[in-house]
Amino acid sequence: MTNIWHNAGARGKLLCLLLLAVLVATPLAADRYLLSVLILVFYFAYLGQAWNLLMGFAGQLSLGHALYLGLGAYTATALWTLFGIGPWLGVFIAIPVAAAAGMFVGWLGWRFAIEGVYFALLTIAFAEFTRIGFDHLQVTGASAGLFLSVNSPGSDKWWNLGGGPLLYYYLALILAAGATFLVAYLRQSPLGYRWLAVREDPEAARAVGIDIFRARMIAMLFSASMTAVGGVFYGFYYRNLFPSQVFDIGRSIELILAPIIGGLGTIFGPVVGALILTPLGESLTALMEALGINAPGVKLIFYGLMLMVIISLRPDGVWPWLARRLGLSGARK
Amino acid sequence: MPIDHRKLSRRSVLAGTAAGAVLLGAPGIVRAQTKALKIAVLLPRSGYLAQAGQSCHRGALVAPSVLSDFGHKVELVHIDMESNPDVARTQAERAINEGAQCIVGAFDSAGTLAIAQVCEQRKVPLVVNIAAAPQLTEQGYKYLVRNFPTGGMLVRNGLQQIQALIDTTKIAPKTAVFLHANDNFGMAQRKGMDALFPKAGLPFKLLESIPYDPKAQDLSVEVTKIRGLNPDLLLVVTRAADAIKLVRDTVRQKFQPMAIISPGAPGLYDEEFYKALGPLADYHVDALPWANPKSKVTQALEAAFTKQQPKYRFPVECFNVGFTFDALLIAADAFKRAGTADGPELMKALMATDLADHAMIGPPIKFDAKGQNVDIPSSCVQNRNRTPTVVLPADAATMAPVLPMPPWQGRT
Repeated sequence: MTNIWHNAGARGKLLCLLLLAVLVATPLAADRYLLSVLILVFYFAYLGQAWNLLMGFAGQLSLGHALYLGLGAYTATALWTLFGIGPWLGVFIAIPVAAAAGMFVGWLGWRFAIEGVYFALLTIAFAEFTRIGFDHLQVTGASAGLFLSVNSPGSDKWWNLGGGPLLYYYLALILAAGATFLVAYLRQSPLGYRWLAVREDPEAARAVGIDIFRARMIAMLFSASMTAVGGVFYGFYYRNLFPSQVFDIGRSIELILAPIIGGLGTIFGPVVGALILTPLGESLTALMEALGINAPGVKLIFYGLMLMVIISLRPDGVWPWLARRLGLSGARK
Repeated sequence: MPIDHRKLSRRSVLAGTAAGAVLLGAPGIVRAQTKALKIAVLLPRSGYLAQAGQSCHRGALVAPSVLSDFGHKVELVHIDMESNPDVARTQAERAINEGAQCIVGAFDSAGTLAIAQVCEQRKVPLVVNIAAAPQLTEQGYKYLVRNFPTGGMLVRNGLQQIQALIDTTKIAPKTAVFLHANDNFGMAQRKGMDALFPKAGLPFKLLESIPYDPKAQDLSVEVTKIRGLNPDLLLVVTRAADAIKLVRDTVRQKFQPMAIISPGAPGLYDEEFYKALGPLADYHVDALPWANPKSKVTQALEAAFTKQQPKYRFPVECFNVGFTFDALLIAADAFKRAGTADGPELMKALMATDLADHAMIGPPIKFDAKGQNVDIPSSCVQNRNRTPTVVLPADAATMAPVLPMPPWQGRT
């Protein structure tokens, strides 16, 4: 970890500390609406980091990460509603459940040489049939949904994640910042270099003695586990879960947008992507209202167009360009 | 720009502070002096629930003028929640920040629950127009009322109406099959059916319940299975696109039941159902809550709707329009009685609602301790000349029911 800090450079260190200080102090000045938007920013930044580990560093495209999100969310919320096990303990059960699912998908794919788009299809298939399974799983409410009570004993306590936006703001901030530091650490570790080697040329990596199956499995382990933690956050923040929403492919696509826009395979790409996407959506809503445009769907069209513009102007993502502009040479990756 | 320190006196700082305090206190003053209730109407006007959300929105657009005629003043802010609970939550926060004193919405249970949490924390009442998940009023929310039946109520009341339909038309069905979509709504209906049908005392046997995937290309496999069982009645829970597939496959396979009845689900009365099937869309029955064509409120609403929304037919839209209008009426009525838009006071008034004149069929609107209106009855609505028409209960009916339905062949 000291290596990362050392390599950041004076300007990088200053910007990093300034950003953290501003974000920690934001609730003093921000209203609840702004906090709710920032919670989503941090949440997507966190999930983007989790997905970026597998795709950006290990080079494996997953379009079914909603599977791990949903398993994490359902495991922790079901433990709470059925057995009264709180989320801080539930998360340690949710992680192995999602990690086991991820390891199985990874084993099936990489053991039998299902790679590239076929691996992506495999991840979609697992998310879809898990959705169908949960649609019929009566113990978690099947397709009618799983709900967390707002008036059961202890449900309003912070240790059961029963607080208001302030609690979720700091929780989301800690998750996003923690994930960024973890990713930065992994990126500079021997494991990180093995992932990059596997991503760039699997055959060459194998030739130099890297166990590519093992490297990919470890990436999946980290990615699925981190996503499961995001799922626990999601379940307790919204306090209701429907399989059709949690496991939906739309959810999988939603959580990969931030790293793609921000910069795939970079440490700060998912953060920058999330900082662009969620506020962009909210700004467009406000803009449409200010212009008196009352046509539903127009905002989504503009949103899509803006994403196309960003991708065509910055095909490598916004962060590498931004890092150059800010003179953060060491932080471009 | 350089700051001129000579102009920053202690007096000016004090004056600035006082002005700031007045500005910060302004929302409270505005709230106390308000003449019209500011309501944010959150609906899924884009995304996968857009069709129904737009229909509800048309009801909300028409509402202010009708409410004004009945002596209520409301200011509506229309917000699209994009069929997305994330958006529903942030937009609810924004609406309240911008002065919304009450929220109406949000058609879908997940979106409504996201809004309910914000309303609960900010002590702003939420009046649910449409959302059937029973948990909405079972989770302990204190700032929520719902004037819409739960999934279980829809099924129970629907089965009661089927019994009334059998009694009125003197048909004698012996068997039925229940076909339902395996989505959120369909599975909730199935759960209700499994629990309530054995106790309903209906004079026919339920042979089987068959789930189907609403994303399936056609329902030929399910219809073949139903044809093999040869039931007298086909009870269905569908959406519009599936209902079209169902009737097409039923006609194609020459299966002729006495009736196709939906015990509390949309699909059989959508405009696209009528357009796609023409005469084959007629005589199907929906047993669900409906706008009362004989109510003066509904008549006023229909007149305003026909004038303001000439492209749409009120009888086809009146389920969504009626419930959305009634939700706004409930909020406006509570505001009038409370005399204030203060959240806790407004909520007290909402809980004390006793509203006799409203758009949907039923007794005066009242809420139980959980905020649920438990007295919303269903009615029988039969498609006649491609128009959903109330045929039961008799005091709201504009036509008599026709069953068994005429054969598929020969319909023009």
